[in-house]
Amino acid sequence: MQLLKSYILPRVVQWAVVIFVGVTVTFLIPRFSPVNPVDEMIGRMTAFQTIDPQAVVAMRATMEDLYGLDGSLLEQYLAFWRRLIQFDLGPSFQNFPTPVNEFIAAGLPWTVGLLTTTTIISWLLGILVGSLVGYNQHKPWAQALERVVIVVYPTPYLIIALILIFIFAFYWPVFPMTGGAQGTPAFTWDYISSIFRFGFLPALSIIIGGFAFRFIMAKALSTSEVASDYVQYAELAAVPKRRIVISYVIRNTMLPHVNDLALSLGAMFEGALIVEVMFGYPGLGSKLFTAISNADYNIIMGIVLMSIVGIATGSLIVDLLYPVFDPRVRLR
Amino acid sequence: MGTIIETNNLRAYYITNAYGVERTVKAVDDITLRIQEGEVYGIAGESGCGKSTLLRVLLNAYDPPLTVVGGEVVYHLDGERVNAADMTEEQQRDLRWRTISYIPQGSMHVLNPVRRIRDSFHDFISAHRDVSKAESFALTANYLRDLGLPEKVLASYPHQLSGGMRQRVTIALATILWPKLIFADEPTTALDVVVQRGVIQMLKDVQQNEGSTLVLITHDIGVHANLADRIAILYAGKLVEEAATQTILESPRHPYTRFLIESLPSLDSREERLSIPGRPPALDRPPSGCRFHERCPLAKDICKTIEPALIEIAPKHFTACHVVEEELSHASAV
Repeated sequence: MQLLKSYILPRVVQWAVVIFVGVTVTFLIPRFSPVNPVDEMIGRMTAFQTIDPQAVVAMRATMEDLYGLDGSLLEQYLAFWRRLIQFDLGPSFQNFPTPVNEFIAAGLPWTVGLLTTTTIISWLLGILVGSLVGYNQHKPWAQALERVVIVVYPTPYLIIALILIFIFAFYWPVFPMTGGAQGTPAFTWDYISSIFRFGFLPALSIIIGGFAFRFIMAKALSTSEVASDYVQYAELAAVPKRRIVISYVIRNTMLPHVNDLALSLGAMFEGALIVEVMFGYPGLGSKLFTAISNADYNIIMGIVLMSIVGIATGSLIVDLLYPVFDPRVRLR
Repeated sequence: MGTIIETNNLRAYYITNAYGVERTVKAVDDITLRIQEGEVYGIAGESGCGKSTLLRVLLNAYDPPLTVVGGEVVYHLDGERVNAADMTEEQQRDLRWRTISYIPQGSMHVLNPVRRIRDSFHDFISAHRDVSKAESFALTANYLRDLGLPEKVLASYPHQLSGGMRQRVTIALATILWPKLIFADEPTTALDVVVQRGVIQMLKDVQQNEGSTLVLITHDIGVHANLADRIAILYAGKLVEEAATQTILESPRHPYTRFLIESLPSLDSREERLSIPGRPPALDRPPSGCRFHERCPLAKDICKTIEPALIEIAPKHFTACHVVEEELSHASAV
């Protein structure tokens, strides 16, 4: 009970405040933008044909109502919240009147599938290899590996993706260049294996980038751990090296890693924009990209809102898990 | 009672080479000593005199820049002479904790902060013995009870224990496998006197229960007086005097030792204590001749140029000082 009141409750309140502020800012920013989506829409419709001015006025009124752009800012804001609570994100501007929900629902499984696997793989691999290199920092193999990763790390995503496309989809076409899967969605071997085949290169490029980042982080953290008194003492006592790496080095660097994992998983709803665009992967990232180029505010807002909730929830979970990973965190 | 560990003309230097500037710190210079089985051997000296370096080398646990440039460390294990330098890494690992153990300086941070005490014990025990978790927990619980430590520390994390308790847990952790030879580096430093007393008592218990050999390093002569059978005085990387504790305390001969003993506060006299003039020498450029001559009120010309040898001035009382040597030869001449 004390735990709930003094540790969990304040963090849940903080979580709610973060989401509230995030949603409010998301609501305000497009409304300060000089582009009015209704004008855009009407402009597009009247570009090649003349429409009766009265019909245009009527159309404007209908559209403002639909887009939630009628009334004062406050009225719009309240209506925005009302719809949000019912999970109604409005229609897409570009593909009117398909609801934004449908768009997100179509992209979500691809992105979640791709990013959950790649994040977890690169996280585990990065920590393990980075910590091993940090622990064996004077060994030649560790130094060689570190040099390789230091070159890979600052290489932009899209260059890694391009190289992979060139090698594995163009010169030596073992993997398809674009798309998410082949055939009609069904529980068949063909369809499911095609998901893996199409996802392989996007996944590999994300894993390479994510691994390099986590490797460098784990290496830096474990280097200072190795110099600590307790690691030195366990070494002196000839405690097996495997035990030292896992229970002494990695275990003591877990806090930042758990933080990173939760935030990365929370940020998943933004999609992996660059990779998805490069590989034509049908996830949230390519949806977001199309929406941005078409000023499709409702889709942008829908994705940003999910991302806000995702990241806030991720950090809430980390906060609640801290005491599990470090007994020194007081439950206050 | 035989010798358990000896050093012969041991020299261990810190050799660093930064930006082409080579620097050699002679932290242990020509030290020969024999430590007997079952005794408490105290090593005393001021900060930076090479105490901890000597211990590292005795323990055979040192990494560059610390390098043994001469002499040897020899263990006598089950009647066999083993040169420390000839041991493989595997042999060294086998020896640790089962035969040779170490209580570190500043035990505050030697316990893994995210591991319960009993799990740390299990890590250390299972590294050398084939035991299950339950067996090592039982072994630990028994041992802590014997040493009078409360059982609840087993399930605690290090940060939940007081400094004194952490030190005692560390001593228990170092001695859980009943090693024959225990090295303790400043085990009572940073503890207040009341806690110190408990820790000293515990060290005594551990040492006496199994008749282990304890090599005790501290600058605190009071702790030595309490525990040690023999004391070696180190000055600037050199052994300057070695004798039974009683002898060192009551009739020290080397001028440095005399200063050291005279500076101790006593209950009977209230006069102000003198400190040794000057400062300890830097070990990368130690003084010529006797390393103490710059601070020694008795220094003669010979002290500035010729290094005094360690000689036996009375049975089992060794000292390295030209002045003492001269006095002795005069006495025997008369």
